[in-house]
Amino acid sequence: MVNENGQLYTIEGVAAGLILLLTAYFVVNSTSIYTPGDTHISDMQLEVIGADALTMMDTAPNATGKSPLTQIIESGNADGFTSMFLSTANATTGERQDTIQFQANLTYVRSDDSINSTLFARSARPFTGTEHAVHVSRWVILEKNLPGTTGDRHAALVEVLLWRD
Amino acid sequence: MARLNDDAQWIVLMGFIVSFSLFFLAILINQSTVVGQTTAEAVSEFPKNDIRGVREVIIASESITDTTEKERVQREIKILSLSRQNAAVDFSAKSSTTHTYIDIHYNNGVAAYNETYTTS
Repeated sequence: MVNENGQLYTIEGVAAGLILLLTAYFVVNSTSIYTPGDTHISDMQLEVIGADALTMMDTAPNATGKSPLTQIIESGNADGFTSMFLSTANATTGERQDTIQFQANLTYVRSDDSINSTLFARSARPFTGTEHAVHVSRWVILEKNLPGTTGDRHAALVEVLLWRD
Repeated sequence: MARLNDDAQWIVLMGFIVSFSLFFLAILINQSTVVGQTTAEAVSEFPKNDIRGVREVIIASESITDTTEKERVQREIKILSLSRQNAAVDFSAKSSTTHTYIDIHYNNGVAAYNETYTTS
């Protein structure tokens, strides 16, 4: 004969199990709202690509010559910067190009110690502020008088925001 | 039937065991999502490129021959580091008969870097 005693205990056990399952479900569900770690990894890679591109552009052909980056900034050649940066940053193995876009600012100190940061060059798509961009910068010493400064030699920062389109 | 019914206690026990084990599994899954994020954040927060950049430009500025220009450029490096890279940078150079020693100090609140660079 089937013993039908203790059914209430069974129901209580199942109910407790369900409540705990629900708690576990809510715990797992609430953590998935957290920013996934993967976005930071791709940010890191994009930062490395940008820094490497600027380093390549800032490498002089010989010990006495100026680097292409310094020459481009000194002559204000925005188109030269755009084509060189894009071809370096977007180069991939094979024919297909990567889809990196950028905006570069030139930042320097005026003679009254205020900071001037002006747009130097940018890619075809303008920066709207909603892109998930990373920031890289490169120091240059320019042999040129910049607007608002005295003297012909200045330290300046080339600051580049870059993002994948 | 007035006595306490203590049948089917093993079902209650099973219920507890299953739910507790699931709870601990949930904690494990919870932790594993954070692990990748914190490592990637730690790497992107460390100012590797900033330190390399400022180090290079300080060494390059030391080879400027004109004293006025050199002082101006080095002052600009300190101002730009503070305002654009959130880093307190200080450096000074001592010269001996054969070498120049540059003391470089960098601190952005997260990482501090100190070096004495010797020119060859």
